[in-house]
Formats: sequence, C-alpha cells, structure tokens
Amino acid sequence: MTGRAASLQARLLLLVLGVVTAVWLAAAARTWFDVRHELGELLDGHLAQAAALLVVQQAQVPEDGDGDRGVDAPTLHRYAPKVAFQVFHEGRLALRSANAPATPMVGTGRGHESGFSTVQIDGTAWRVFATFGAERDVQVHVGEQESSRAAILRAVLRNTLLPLAVALPLLAWAAWWAVKRGVAPLRRLGTLLAARQPRALEPVRVDDAPAEMQPLVEALNGLLERTAVLMEAERRFTADAAHELRTPLAAIRTQAQVALAETADAPRRHALQSVLAGCDRAARLVDQLLTLSRLEAGTASAPGRADLAAVARSVVADLAPQALAKGQTIELEAAAPCPVQADATLLAVLVRNLVDNAIRYSPPAAAVKLILASMGAGASLQVADSGPGLAEPELQRLGERFFRVLGSGEAGSGLGWSIVRRIAAVQGAQVAVARSAALGGLEVTVEWPPLVEAR
Amino acid sequence: MRILLAEDDLLLGDGLRAGLRQHGFQVDWVRDGAAAERELRAEPYAAAVLDLGLPLMDGLAVLASVRRAGVTLPVLVLTARDTVPDRVRGLDGGADDYVVKPVDLDELAARLRALVRRSHGQPQDRLAAQGVVLDPAARTVAQAGAVVALSAREFDLLHVLMLNAGRVLSREQIEQHLYSWGQEVESNAVEVHVHNLRRKLGPALIHTVRGVGYTLQREATAP
Repeated sequence: MTGRAASLQARLLLLVLGVVTAVWLAAAARTWFDVRHELGELLDGHLAQAAALLVVQQAQVPEDGDGDRGVDAPTLHRYAPKVAFQVFHEGRLALRSANAPATPMVGTGRGHESGFSTVQIDGTAWRVFATFGAERDVQVHVGEQESSRAAILRAVLRNTLLPLAVALPLLAWAAWWAVKRGVAPLRRLGTLLAARQPRALEPVRVDDAPAEMQPLVEALNGLLERTAVLMEAERRFTADAAHELRTPLAAIRTQAQVALAETADAPRRHALQSVLAGCDRAARLVDQLLTLSRLEAGTASAPGRADLAAVARSVVADLAPQALAKGQTIELEAAAPCPVQADATLLAVLVRNLVDNAIRYSPPAAAVKLILASMGAGASLQVADSGPGLAEPELQRLGERFFRVLGSGEAGSGLGWSIVRRIAAVQGAQVAVARSAALGGLEVTVEWPPLVEAR
Repeated sequence: MRILLAEDDLLLGDGLRAGLRQHGFQVDWVRDGAAAERELRAEPYAAAVLDLGLPLMDGLAVLASVRRAGVTLPVLVLTARDTVPDRVRGLDGGADDYVVKPVDLDELAARLRALVRRSHGQPQDRLAAQGVVLDPAARTVAQAGAVVALSAREFDLLHVLMLNAGRVLSREQIEQHLYSWGQEVESNAVEVHVHNLRRKLGPALIHTVRGVGYTLQREATAP
C-alpha cells in the first residue's frame, strides 16, 4: 500500500459528524424559512388588523374641523417605537403615532393606496399596510420596522443552532468512543497478525469478531491454510530432492576419487566416464525436480488447446534416435489432428516421459508403439512396449515419488511417473497402466476429457 | 579383506567397488536387500557397507534379520537418509557406523578398517606379532624396523592371520576371506602364499596345524 492510508476510525467519525451537522443545518434552514413565512403572515395580519381598527375608529370620529391631531397616540409597549401609523382624512393628516413622519409613508395620503409594501423612511426599512375607508375618504397607513422582524428571526435561528454548537463536541466525543469500540476487533486482528511469526500458519481466532468481519477472517484463514499446505509440500519436496540428489552426487564424487587414485589407463577412463554419466543423471534429475516443483506450485502455464497428434509426432521424432541406438523399433499410429484441452508444453513433457520410459526400460531390439485415438470428443494416447512389463505390486507402486523398478539396469530417478501423473491431473486426464496384450510389455493409456466448446 | 557392498545405484556401486579395491579390500557387490541378506548369512565377510533404500528388502530389515540370525560382522550403513531419527534408527537397528552420502573414499576405507579391527578386539590400527608389524592403512609390513615387500595376496593373508591370531583358520576359511566372487582360486594358492610369507618373514611366524589349517600365535604383550 502506498501513501498514508486513511484510518477507518477517522473516516467513520467524519462521516457521522458530517451527516449530523448537515442534517442539523438543513433543519435550521427549514425552520428559518418556515418561521420567516409564518412570522410575516402573522405580523402582516396584525398590521392589517390594526389598520382596520383605525379605519373603523376614524369613521366614528365626529367631524370637528380641527387640523392635525396626530401626536397623542401613547407609547404603551417597548415595541411601540417600532410600530407607526398615520390616518389621513381627505388628504390631510388626521392622526399619527409619535414616531410616524408627517408625510405619508406610502403614496400621497390622498390616493387610494391599498395593500402591503416595503419602503425606506429616513434610512430605515418599514413594512407598511395601507387601506382606506369606503365612505369618508379615510386613508390609513400602518407601518412596522423590518428590523424587528429580522430580530425575531435571528432569535429563532440562534435558538435552533445554539444547541448544535454545544452538542457537536459532545457528539464528536461520543461518536469517537463508539467507533473506537466498534473497530476494536479489527484492531485486535491487526495486532494479532503483526505479532505472528512468518511460519505460524495456524488459523486466526478473533473471539468477538462481528458478522461483517467473519468473511475477512474466514478468507484469511483459508489463505493461511492453503499457504500451510503449499509450504508443507514445498518442504517435503525439498527434503525429497536433497535426499535424491545425494546418491548421484555420491556416485560422482566416488568415481572422481577412483579416477584420481587409479594409475592404470582403462579403469581410469571408465571412472571418468562414470563421472560424466553421473553428471548427466544429476542434471536430468534436477530438470525433473524443477518440472515437478513447478507443477506442484501450480505455476505451470494456463491450459490452452493443443494437437496431441502433432505433439506426439515431435516427441517421437526427438526420441527415435535413442530407440534406434538400442536397436528398438518405434512407431506412431496417429489419426488426423487430435485436439485436447491442454497446454502444449506440458503435453509434450507428459508424452516425452512416457516414451522415454518405454525406450529406457525396454531391452534392446524391443518394440515401442504409440497409438492415438479420438473417442467421442475426447482423445486417448496409448504407449506400449515389448519390454519385461511390471508385476502387480510394482504396477501399484508406480507413480510414488522416487519409486524405481528393480533390475532395470537404468539409472532413473523414479520422478518421470510423478510428473506424468501430475500433468494428467492438471489436464483432467486419466492414466491407466496395464500389461500390453499386443506387445507383452507395459501399456500406459492416458485419456483426455472431451473438449470444452469455445465460449 | 573381503567386504560386502549392498548398493542399488549402478554408478555409485561401481565407484565404491573400484575405490574400495584401490584401498585393498576384496569387494562383493549386491544390488538388492534380499541378496544382501542371503550373502551376509552365508559368507564370512570382514564387514559390510549397507545402503538403506534397497529394493526388495529395506536395509534396516536386512540388518534386523541378519542380527537376529546371529551374524556379528561390523556393518557400516551408507545412506542418503540424513535426519537424526534416521541415524538413531540405523545405529539402534544394529549398524556399527552410520555414514551419510556422499562420502570420501579414504574416510570410508578408514572407517571400515577401524570397524574390522575393533570387531577382532584390536584397539590399535597396527597389528604386531613376533616382531612383525602390519599397518593396514599403509598396507605395509615391517620386521625389526625394516619394510618387507609383500604381494597384495601375501599381505591380505598375513592380515587375516594376524587379525585372527590365536585361532586356527582352515584353508577354505582363508580362501573365503581372501577372494571375492569371480576370482579364480588355484587349489594350492594358500600353501604357496604361506610358503612365501615364511620365506620372507622367517619360518617360525606361521604354524601349520596338520589336517586343520594355519595359525599365528597371539602376542603375549603388545609391542
């Protein structure tokens, strides 16, 4: 992993707090809008009501011809300065509150103004309701400072947001604590894994792991188990390989020492040639061990599609000189192309091992025969020889690693069979060993399953 | 000195046989456990080199079987099995020495000589009798400080007689000790070699027990 990984705890904390704050702010905004609307309606209603009262009252005031009487409306409430009214009678100011201007707040005082409006008077915003009486030409203006409405709104908003400001740190602490407790099993798993020795592959146990963590722990344990199996196979393989390489190395060393000490020419040549033969054998053994190791580690290439007939032809062509050198006959009976679901390289290794075994373990002048057949959509390969064959107990032990047939006179490692079986398993093929009815020796039959249709 | 080599690997067996012959051993080589068991029961080998991973019969089974049959010859196990439990099993199973492949031929020969010497109750490498000193490692014989030149057969005969000092060995027993398989034994070969030894080392060294065989007097005190 590169860079700094974000902590799950921090992420959860941020998410929880962010969502809470956002919801709270949204609620506050909604409240603000609602309150402003309702407040506007309510106060506007009051203005209209006040104006209506003034119109009615003015209609009952007897005509006395007096001029402006407008300075006597008492201030009865601390809010009163923020509210003002004017009553005009036939265009003249008949009545006004102390804080109302002498000039009409809206229009001329004579016209028939009606309804709500917002005006600027001496640099202050006022909400004014204007109306008129129907009979006596009375014009009434009732106004209220806008700022008083804003003050109420601010108070409402303050009361909504203030608890959030106080609650947020508390909430943050609570969320931090809860998240910390929630991720504790994860943290424990981490500590557990960090403290592990690389070779400790027993399953991990987190006792109070929540359901969400179970798949992780199970997957981890599955991985550990597979790793343990692989490591065990690797260990066994290394031990086997070391064991099996000791004998060829001992032979090389011994023959070299014999050659060094030998004074006569012929025995020294013999010993030196044995050294060479030993080296060849050790090299072949190493090749086989590597092939087997790759197969067991599962790193061999992915299966494709290969033509068994072509592979068999090329292998037989390669090994024919070896057979001819022993005076053996080798023949291949192959029908037209014989496609199988297999990697061509591995297929060649399998066929080569079978044919090599047949040549190697059959006496001079023996016959080796390969027969290829298509069966349904599958294919089969039969490798038979006229060699001594195998007795029943030997047939059963064939394929055990390093099992060698006695008295073969050949320096094999016994790994060829392991390789054949392993490759067959990878390719889903069946291997059967029997006595050849036609040739009398060993007969190995490999059957590949039908091709899977191309997707 | 005649030893049995049980090893199924052709190259290694061939090399060990040649190498041990270079060190003066007569080597009979078998390639499976059943043959090893049969030969060990039948022939008077001085020692055996036994591989464990033998076909037909495992080396440890061979060892257990011949030990049960009362065969006491020293057995050196030469194997690729190198774990401590393997070594313990081998030694407890009747082996006198346990060597892991690959082995140095000189060391293998020295270990075999030591095993043979100890099996005859000889604490020292050099054998001595009546002023004649035999050095099995150098394959030399000295009398009164002077080296006496002996043929390989004469040396082997003297070696066998000195190892078995105080015991009478028949001609057949001596032949079994001296000759490995496939070697032609002349009917009077032992008499000829005894004659030569007497000529080179003096007539008093080897006694003839008429009708029985030959013996060499045990040294009363070590030189």
